[in-house]
Formats: sequence, structure tokens, C-alpha cells
Amino acid sequence: MFHNLQELRQSPSLATKVFIQRDYSEGTVCRFQIKFPSELGSRIERTLFEDTVKTLNTYYAEAEKVGGQSYMEGCLACATAYFIFLCMETRYEKVLKKISGYIQEQNEKIYAPRGLLLTDPVERGMRVIEVSVFEDRGSSGSSPSSNVSSGISQR
Amino acid sequence: MPGFSSGGLGGEVGGPAASPPCPFRPSRFVPVSAATTFLVGSTTLFFCFTCPWLSEHVSSVIPIYNAVVFLFTLANFCMATFMDPGVFPRAEEDEDKEDDFRAPLYKTVEVKGIQVRMKWCSSCRFYRPPRCSHCSVCDNCVEDFDHHCPWVNNCIGRRNYRHFFLFLLSLTIHIMGVFGFGLLYILQHQHQLDSVHSSVTMATMCTAGLFFIPVAGLTGFHMVLVARGRTTNEQVTGKFRGGVNPFTNGCLRNVSHVLCSSQAPRYVGRWRGKQTVEVHPPFLRPPLSEAQLEAKVLDNGIQNDHHSSRSKSSLEQMESQSADAEPPPPPKPEVRYPGLPRADTEESSLLSEGPSTPSMYKYRPAYSSPQRNHTALTHPNKMIRGDSLDSPSILQSSRQASYRSEPSSLDGGSVIGLAARGGERGEGPGGSSGTGGEVAGGISGYSLGGRSYTSYPSSLVLSTGGSHSSSMRSAHTHHNTLGTLQSEGTTDTSYKSLANQTPQNGSLSYDSLLTPSESPEFESAAHELSPQKPHAPAAFPPAMTSSPPPGVRDVPLQGYTSPFLSAQMAQQREGQLLQGSASFSSPNRAYLRAFSPPSPNPPHAAHPETQHHLLHQDSRHPHLRATSSIRPLPPVSEQPSPSSPHACSPDPPVSPPLRGPSLRKSPSYTGEAGLQHKARPMGGGSLSGEGGVRVTQAPQSTSRPGLANHSTSKPVGGVKKVTGVGGTTYEISV
Repeated sequence: MFHNLQELRQSPSLATKVFIQRDYSEGTVCRFQIKFPSELGSRIERTLFEDTVKTLNTYYAEAEKVGGQSYMEGCLACATAYFIFLCMETRYEKVLKKISGYIQEQNEKIYAPRGLLLTDPVERGMRVIEVSVFEDRGSSGSSPSSNVSSGISQR
Repeated sequence: MPGFSSGGLGGEVGGPAASPPCPFRPSRFVPVSAATTFLVGSTTLFFCFTCPWLSEHVSSVIPIYNAVVFLFTLANFCMATFMDPGVFPRAEEDEDKEDDFRAPLYKTVEVKGIQVRMKWCSSCRFYRPPRCSHCSVCDNCVEDFDHHCPWVNNCIGRRNYRHFFLFLLSLTIHIMGVFGFGLLYILQHQHQLDSVHSSVTMATMCTAGLFFIPVAGLTGFHMVLVARGRTTNEQVTGKFRGGVNPFTNGCLRNVSHVLCSSQAPRYVGRWRGKQTVEVHPPFLRPPLSEAQLEAKVLDNGIQNDHHSSRSKSSLEQMESQSADAEPPPPPKPEVRYPGLPRADTEESSLLSEGPSTPSMYKYRPAYSSPQRNHTALTHPNKMIRGDSLDSPSILQSSRQASYRSEPSSLDGGSVIGLAARGGERGEGPGGSSGTGGEVAGGISGYSLGGRSYTSYPSSLVLSTGGSHSSSMRSAHTHHNTLGTLQSEGTTDTSYKSLANQTPQNGSLSYDSLLTPSESPEFESAAHELSPQKPHAPAAFPPAMTSSPPPGVRDVPLQGYTSPFLSAQMAQQREGQLLQGSASFSSPNRAYLRAFSPPSPNPPHAAHPETQHHLLHQDSRHPHLRATSSIRPLPPVSEQPSPSSPHACSPDPPVSPPLRGPSLRKSPSYTGEAGLQHKARPMGGGSLSGEGGVRVTQAPQSTSRPGLANHSTSKPVGGVKKVTGVGGTTYEISV
């Protein structure tokens, strides 16, 4: 594909990354801090961001819930000597797929228009939510941009 | 099986930051092979030789029952062996946005009201979540790390603990079954004990009986752990001994969590769908809030609102990441950099920056690795801040200071004296003259003291040498972080840089130079540093040369204050030996010439000499720079305290402390090393002997008689004669 100079000049570059850490106040259950980082203060509304994190927390709580479904799943797995895992997806994995879809949707609708991108926490071992902050080169003055291509191609 | 990944190899399937593959070590497979052989072999023999008769004469359910139990055991064994235990992928480079020289080694989080420490993992580059531990065998951080099991050649962690536990249970039941049914067979065949079937059955019974005791014991142990909601790691390290376990939810919930929770996902080697979301400018911006508008108004006009909010956010970001629960540190000057957000290179950020201040570090782009080069350019400011950062470590470590040094005998050029002074009082080194006496709470004084250093820090800086820029940066743990340290209530006197710099034993400790046998202790001490740990301060004896001059001590020297003592002695002798003799050793003289001490006074040349001696040591072992430079001061105060319980008598400054832990030996050695340059080649390693007094020079040295003369001519106190290896004697006045 031909990228002319004009295109390159206007493509965004990755400025920084903001990491939302885990909230361990309730133990090792997966929860992320809802605290709104200041770096994003000028990029996205607080409520939008907090909604996203709260929803993610809800998803994770659902995934880790110890209830009837997970119990049946465990019994079935034991009964089949865990061969059932070849055919069936675990509950957690199902929820993770939902989460992945949710993050994709949020990125498309809310974050990408604001020059932000969320990374699925599972790729970071569910330790952090990585928010990539992009800078529009034209609007932020003169400074060398690091990697233009990485700003576009997602990791 | 989808859930499997080889436990022995780090999963590298498609992960961007997957753990590296473990080196192939055949010895690792011996236990697991033996376990597999015994399990499968014995069971097969049982089925072949015992079960036919049992199914005929007792019941046909017996083989079926045993087969089911055996399959269950085998399935769980395979899952425990091959399943990823919950390995964390390595953190990406830009996640470690803080300079690891200045970030603390520990971060504290509150889990259900209980403070839990998260340690920085230098291999994986993140702060280990609670209950996570790094397995040295697998070289991975494992979530909910239980232990590394050699019998399955795999770590047991969050994902496979259930399988491991069920394996133990089912194996116990299986062993009981094999033994019991074998016994039944034997009892019915007592007249045919010499037959093949009976012999094999008896062999199987013996094997089963042999393994029953350890397996049952382990099963019972894990049943207790599951009921208590603890991991083996926590139980063995005694983390919650006598305390409260924040991770328990009650016996029933703990058991159901282990057995009934959904299978945790794998982090490494996941299939990642291609993200198709693209980012295109122009970007939407939220309306400016009032606070931001205010910031813009108050702006000095150089920056726009973006940068002002960024600077604030950077400050808050760090604090939030440190799980702050306390008031933020005192406001620091915020430097605005128009070009900073995209300043990946030092040049751009530095060109645009005004006065360089340490707070600039906050604004470094997270992912720019050449950040380390910042130090060189911002060094002058860093030094001052850096020194201030020594104070917390001094503060924390000096809580144990039990002696009072008399700095009056030292001039401003003597950093050691100042350090001792600052340290002993357990206060921040506030006050240039070292008389600053504030600091009620540990780090609170630090934050105040951060602005009050003048000659103290400068002398420290000069003494440690400008070349140790990296160590200065290490010392210069940003006040910001330390403010959060205060809130966290941690003993964050150790830094990630230390952890990151010690890939192998001995490299961190100065003592490793002198006493290589002791180095592992130092490494662990350095890693697990906490001021309250008695051995922790001992990790820094190499950097310490602090003890008051013998003649001016208020309190008898305790522990290994001899290094400083030696320095003092050397200093005093130096003045007298200037005219002629080769001083105490020509190497020392060389050091003295090479090093330009901050203080022009010749009598004080001994101090720089001793310090320079440390520097000399450091130059040979770059790893040590971080240690010695990060805390050149705390050891001053730390030194006597840990050794005081061990010192048998305060009077002899050298000999008694050496009876303490081997760690203690080093300080005395290092201190006297300044005077022992000649002796060291002969007795370097041997000086690690217990109770061996560090001796300086051989009597036949030209300088010795002079030393001896001077020591005896010392007006202060008595003269202590100490002998060491090689028959050399040294007289110290006490």
C-alpha cells in the first residue's frame, strides 16, 4: 500500500500508555481499580471510562463465580477424565470471549474516536488494563513521533 | 488437550511476552519419570496378577473400582503435570514506565484490611500480584503459587492446584485399594506364597505401603491447607503464622473455591484475535473541566492545558499505582515541557525543558528506554534529591541505631560522620550541618528533609563520586514514590535496581569481593531488605565505613564500627606518616592521590580514602555501586545496631562483633580493608573466619612500626591489640 507523506504526517503516534491496576481490596478475585487516571482526564469523560471498568469488573465477577454451573462443569470434567475440555469451552473462557467482544466494541465506539485504545487485560495476565494514548501529531506541535506504524497496527 | 501446555517449557505459542523456554535439564525429569513408572507399573502388575483372582472369587466390581480410581489418578496426574499452572506473561517494556532504579522493590496493597506486600519481579518486570511467586525452576511468575512439585515436574498454581489436590486424594485412595486388595489376596493364598502371583502381589503391596506414608501425609497437609485457604508457599514461609490470612473466605468457601470454581484461563499462549480497531485523528476531546481551565489560566504560558494536566496526572498516576492511602507527597515543582509527550529521546525533552528538576522523571514517556541517559544531564539536581532519598533508608534503618557518633570530630567533608549523625538520630538528614533534628515519623521527615540538604548531600555526592550516576539515580528514588512509601507503610528501602542487578549470587554484595562464601546471604538480604530485619542492614556493611573515632565515642563501639575506626586511625596516622613512611600501605597512598577528597584537609584524607576504597571496590564490581551508593549513609547507623545484640563486649571494636553472623564480619573487614591493602592479598579470603580479627598490616611492613607507635601514643583511652590472620597485629585505641 502506498503511504504518501501526507498520510504519514497525519497518522497518530502512540504517546503513552496508562495502566489501570488491579484492585486487590477484596482478595485475589479479579477486579480493576475504578480510579480515573489523570492522564486520561483530557481525553475521555470520566463517566465513560468508569462505566467501562465497572462493566469489566462485572464480567470478571461473573466468570469467577462459584455456583451451579461451574460445579457441574467440574463434575463433568472429572467424570470424563477431563477429555470434555477438548470439546467444551469452560465457563471462564466463555466470559472472556464476551469480554473481548465488549472491549472491541468499546474501542470502536468510544475509545478510538478519542485516540485511545484498550487492551484486553488477559493479554497482560489480567494484571492491568492497558490504555494506549495516541497523539495526533498535527495537533500537538512539533516533536518526533516514535513509531507511526505501531500507532495504527494494534498489538 | 486445549488446556494443556507443557509445564516444563514456558508456553511460547503466540504470546507476545511469553516466558522464555527453560533450559533442558534431564535431571528434572527423573522424579516425574520415577513417579510415573511406579504408578503405572505397580498398578499394571496389580491388575495382571491380583485382580483376576479377586474378580473371580470375591467380586467383579473390584477391578472396575480399581480401574476407575486409577484412571482418575492418572488423569489428574497428567493435568497437574502438563497444565499451565497460571504463568504470567512477561510484562512489556512500556509497562515498567518508572525507572527501575528509583521505583521501590515493594508495593503494598490492602487486602481486606490487611497490608500485603507486592514484590517487584526483576525477571518478569512487574509487581507480583498477591499470592504470586516466581518459580526459579520454571523461571516464571505463577499465579497463586503453591509450590514446584518435582514429582510432576511442574509448578502448582492457580490453574492446576485442583488437579494436584485431586491427584493426591485419588492416589491415596488408590494406594489403599491396592494394598488392601493385595492383602486380601495374600491372606487367601498363604499356602502359595512362593507362586509368581503371590510374589508380585507382595511386591506391589510393598511399593504401595512404602509410598502410602508420604503420600497420605502430603494429602493430609494439603487438606488442611485447602480448609485454611493457604498455599504451601504461605504455610512454609510462615506468612500468616499468628496472623490473619486475608485470602480465606471460610472453610466451606475455600473448599468450594478449590474444587468447584471454573477453570482459570491461560495467560500465556493465548490465541489473540486480530484487533481491527484503528485510530484516526482528529480525536474527540472532552470539554475541559473547571480544574483544567484553572490550570490553564495559572499556566505560565509556555504550555498548553494538555501538558499541565499531563503533569498532574503523571504525579497521580504514580501514586495511584502505588495504592496510596495517605496524603500525597508535598507538591513538587512541575516542569512543563511542550515537547514532552512525544519526547522519546532525551534531546527533545531536554531541549525544551527549563530548569531540570528530578520531577522531570515523572514525565518521561513510559516506553522510552534511553531514560537512563537522563541522569547524566540532570545529575546536578538529581544529586541533591538523591541524597534526600537516602534519608528514608537511613530513617528506617536507623531505628535500630543504638550508638551515638560524635560528628564534632569530623568536618563537613566527612560524609561518613554526617551520615552517622543523620542515621543515628533516626531522622532525616535534614540540616546541612547535620544537626537537623526533626522527623517524627519515618518518612515524613524525609519529605521535609528533602528540601533542606546542603552540605550534607553535597559532601555525600562528592564522596560517592560523580561517576556513579546510575547509583545516584538509584539513590534518588523519587520523593514521589517515597511519599507513597510512607503511606504504604512499607519498608521500601530496597529498590528495583537492586533486584534487577543481581542475576547471580555475590554480585550485589560488597562482601562478595572479600568473602565470597557469604555472598548468597547478602543477595537474599539485599533482595528481601526491610529495615526491621536484623540482617538487612548487614547487607550494606560494604558500603559502610561508619563509626565514630575511638576517642570521641560516647557509647562504646558496638558491632562492626571498626571500619570507621580504622579510617579514623588511618587518618590520624596519615598526618603523622606524611613525611616519610609508605603510610600504611602504598596502595592506600595511591588511592589518596587518585582521589581528590572534598575536604582539603590532609588529616581527613583518611575519610575519602576509606570512601574511595569503597569506590575502588565498587569500580571493580559495578553491581555494588547500586548498593553502596544507594545507601552510603544508612549503613552508618545500621551497622552498630544489628551487631549490638551480637557484640559480646563493646570495648573491642573488632573482635567480638565477628562472632556474630557471618554477615557481620564483612563490615569490620571492609572498614579495615582501607588499612589492609597490603594484607588483603594474603588474607583476603581467610578473613572471613569467625572471630578473626581483621588485621591490617604485617609487622614487618615499614609502616607498621609507625602505626604501632602511634597507636600506643594515642592519648585517648586504652589500646586494644588485635591479631588476625598471618600473625599481624593491629592496635586500636578504645
